[in-house]
Amino acid sequence: MKLHKNSKKQTEKKSFLKKWGGLILWILLLGFLALYPYTKVSGIQLFSATQVFMLVTLASNWNLIGGMTGYIDFGHTVFFGVGAYMMGILVTQAPLAFAPRLSFWQALPIAGLVALLLAVSLGWVTLRLKGSYFSIAMLGTFAATREIVRILRPLTGGGAGLDLPPVLNRLGEYYFMLAVMAIVVSSIWWIRRSDFGLSLLAIREDEIGAEMRGINTTLHKLVALAIAAFFTGITGAFWAWQNTYIDPDVVFLESRTVEMVMTSMLGGLGTVWGPPLGAVVLYSIQNIVWSNLLNYHLLALGILLIFLVLFMPEGILGKLGDRSSISAIRLIQRWQKRR
Amino acid sequence: MTQFLQALLSGLLLGGFYGVMVLGFSVLWGVMGIINLAHGDFLMTGAYLAWLMFRTFNLDPFISLVLILPLMFVVGYALQKILLNRLIERPRLATLLVTFGLSISLANLHKILYTADPRNVPVAYNGSIELWGISVPIVKAIVFFIALGMMSLLHLLLQRTRLGKAIRAAAQNKNAAKIVGIDIDRVYAITAGICIALTAGAGAAISPTQAIFPFMGQPFTLKAFTITVLGGLGRIPGALLGGMVLGITEVMVATYVPGIGTNFGVALSLILLVVILIVRPQGLSSGLRPMNEDRS
Amino acid sequence: MKNPLLEGRQISKSFQGLAAVKQVNLTVFTGEMMGLIGPNGSGKTTLFDCLCCLQPVDRGKIFFKGRNVTQARPNQLARMGLARTFQRIRIYRQMTVLENMLISRQWRGETLLDIFKSSHRQTKIRAKELLEFLLLSHLDREYAGNLSGGQQRLLEIGMALMPDPEIILLDEATSGINPTLINTIKERILILNQQQGKTFLIIEHNINFISDLCSRVCVLHQGEKLAEGTPDEIKTNKAVIEAYFGR
Repeated sequence: MKLHKNSKKQTEKKSFLKKWGGLILWILLLGFLALYPYTKVSGIQLFSATQVFMLVTLASNWNLIGGMTGYIDFGHTVFFGVGAYMMGILVTQAPLAFAPRLSFWQALPIAGLVALLLAVSLGWVTLRLKGSYFSIAMLGTFAATREIVRILRPLTGGGAGLDLPPVLNRLGEYYFMLAVMAIVVSSIWWIRRSDFGLSLLAIREDEIGAEMRGINTTLHKLVALAIAAFFTGITGAFWAWQNTYIDPDVVFLESRTVEMVMTSMLGGLGTVWGPPLGAVVLYSIQNIVWSNLLNYHLLALGILLIFLVLFMPEGILGKLGDRSSISAIRLIQRWQKRR
Repeated sequence: MTQFLQALLSGLLLGGFYGVMVLGFSVLWGVMGIINLAHGDFLMTGAYLAWLMFRTFNLDPFISLVLILPLMFVVGYALQKILLNRLIERPRLATLLVTFGLSISLANLHKILYTADPRNVPVAYNGSIELWGISVPIVKAIVFFIALGMMSLLHLLLQRTRLGKAIRAAAQNKNAAKIVGIDIDRVYAITAGICIALTAGAGAAISPTQAIFPFMGQPFTLKAFTITVLGGLGRIPGALLGGMVLGITEVMVATYVPGIGTNFGVALSLILLVVILIVRPQGLSSGLRPMNEDRS
Repeated sequence: MKNPLLEGRQISKSFQGLAAVKQVNLTVFTGEMMGLIGPNGSGKTTLFDCLCCLQPVDRGKIFFKGRNVTQARPNQLARMGLARTFQRIRIYRQMTVLENMLISRQWRGETLLDIFKSSHRQTKIRAKELLEFLLLSHLDREYAGNLSGGQQRLLEIGMALMPDPEIILLDEATSGINPTLINTIKERILILNQQQGKTFLIIEHNINFISDLCSRVCVLHQGEKLAEGTPDEIKTNKAVIEAYFGR
């Protein structure tokens, strides 16, 4: 094994701040957010904060498969929807004769697992293909699942939807979503620094090279998608519980996918802190600038997406110099050579 | 037996429409390597234009095609010059994201302009005639023949004219085409114009048979993708064949599988797509260029 | 007794009717250095891609360490101990040299759980040793894209060596590199072969490079195997001379 006698021990010179700074800030922020309800806040403010947490969670999950692995998922909402419907079905009816209705906490992991299983079976087919096939197959899955849910009337209530038992607990919802967000973002921080994350980045940058270096690319992509789907399913299940009503049109909402994509792109594709940053920025823009022009919301999002891809593909963090985002540009931008 | 023949006929008519609907998508992908996720939304735009003309000037949709095709050609030409040209030679992610954004913008623009209420174009001859016990819907039959006509025209254009040769050359090898003196930007712009015009024309043509609403486009995009994978990139006979397969399958399932109805189209085409991809995971080769070329 | 390590039997591969490789037999024995030469477009790289399963073969079989690996995925082959470099350099330009080395670490026996294991301290030490061996250790924090062409080739060889493979396939490791660096590469390959018993299969245009290193050479011409033998035999082979200089 020894190749050279004088293998000198290099001291780790990586600057402490660069390595841990983000995490320390994140923990401080989480601490502050945990104390936030103790200041004088209204239920509406807690609710808004919960929505932001949800956006961060969804976007971070999307970013894991779309940003870090480089497989743009235009149908990620399908996992959200499956989670929501599992929650709706399990708490309102007893589909199996022997199984009683479940409580929120019992249904939650099942919803996540079903989303995970769906991701694995979908990914098994689509992830072996080139990225564009995956993107469109996911878009198709999204639209198809909405159709299927509408057809499976006995189970899902069809177009009429399902009513969940109404529970109003803004504080509990706030802490639940805060916890999910903390878990998701911290896991992605860990993944980014782990060898698993390095392999995902390698797949994004050059899949053939990664494969030839012994990385089982299909398995890695599958695991990334499964993780993202699991937490998205959990979030969807929680959303169904919070909203107390689900039907195909409010659950399988296209704008939800758009928001995940936009949030990641805005913050910085493939970065850990991009989605949280992007979520805050996007939510602020939505509430300050667009709140009076609700109709124009999606039109503006669509145009903004085009402009981002063409003129600022590296996102906010990339502009500030985050390398993992800069290398993501290569996926989107390669025109320096051209003209 | 009559039921079967009826379903077969409906499937064939639908398939003919799918064949022309998919052309714009397939040629744009084959020539420029752009997977246009806004495909269905251009179709929707065409349908709305037909509706607008019907409402304001009481113009028959098939006559308004004469106006819609040139108009949308200009739109496509401009779109290529302004937007799509920036995407050629760039990795697929960029194209997918931009056309996805375009799709959302278009759909929501129409929602703002015309609200989300479904519209329809009630032409006078929207009935059907009986032929040997099978009812033939008149409008769909007209659409079918227009579709065949458009396909033949495009085929002649691609195979017989200088422009067609330039387009095919640009699809095969962009740099070589440049070297032999083809003005590639212009060829691309014209191709985009033709594709968008064809797509919008297909939308206008089916406007009498279908409710028109801002979000009607997406299923068409997905079906176009399935048909293209089925029939090959930029291949006109392949597009017709793929369209027929999807159309007939769709109608047969709607006829013979109880409790599903006609709302199962997207799921069905997705299932078809997955089956193709499992059987031939390397993708299908094509008339214009290999499909799973590594562009990342 | 020589032991076949990598073996291709009757390999054929065509692209849309164009036959790139036609029924080529190729055997690489353990511990040897074998050269693969041929004019441009003679199918060398395609043969390489087939041998490491990047391209599925149309017909024929591939054996590695006595096992039929024709249907294997490239990553399985890599984990069995086959590594290669690419004609068009494939490194991760936006990552540092050290990160590049770590991507190509030892992947033996990967399962679902192995994905989440982080590499041992040992791996990092090995990466640094290899970088030193390839005279790149001063650059380990540099982005790989900033390296010169020759250094990038060396880095790619380093990445190939990371998992401690038994056979290394080098695809034009010297193209576009200055002579001093070529000598470095040559010297390093010799050390690896003689001291560590690594097997090499080398595609090269530079005949001197091949004849200095390899004991056996295989010549491809228009997808077919034209000749095989020691470098001296090849140099005097009529058919080979005709293929290279004739017409």
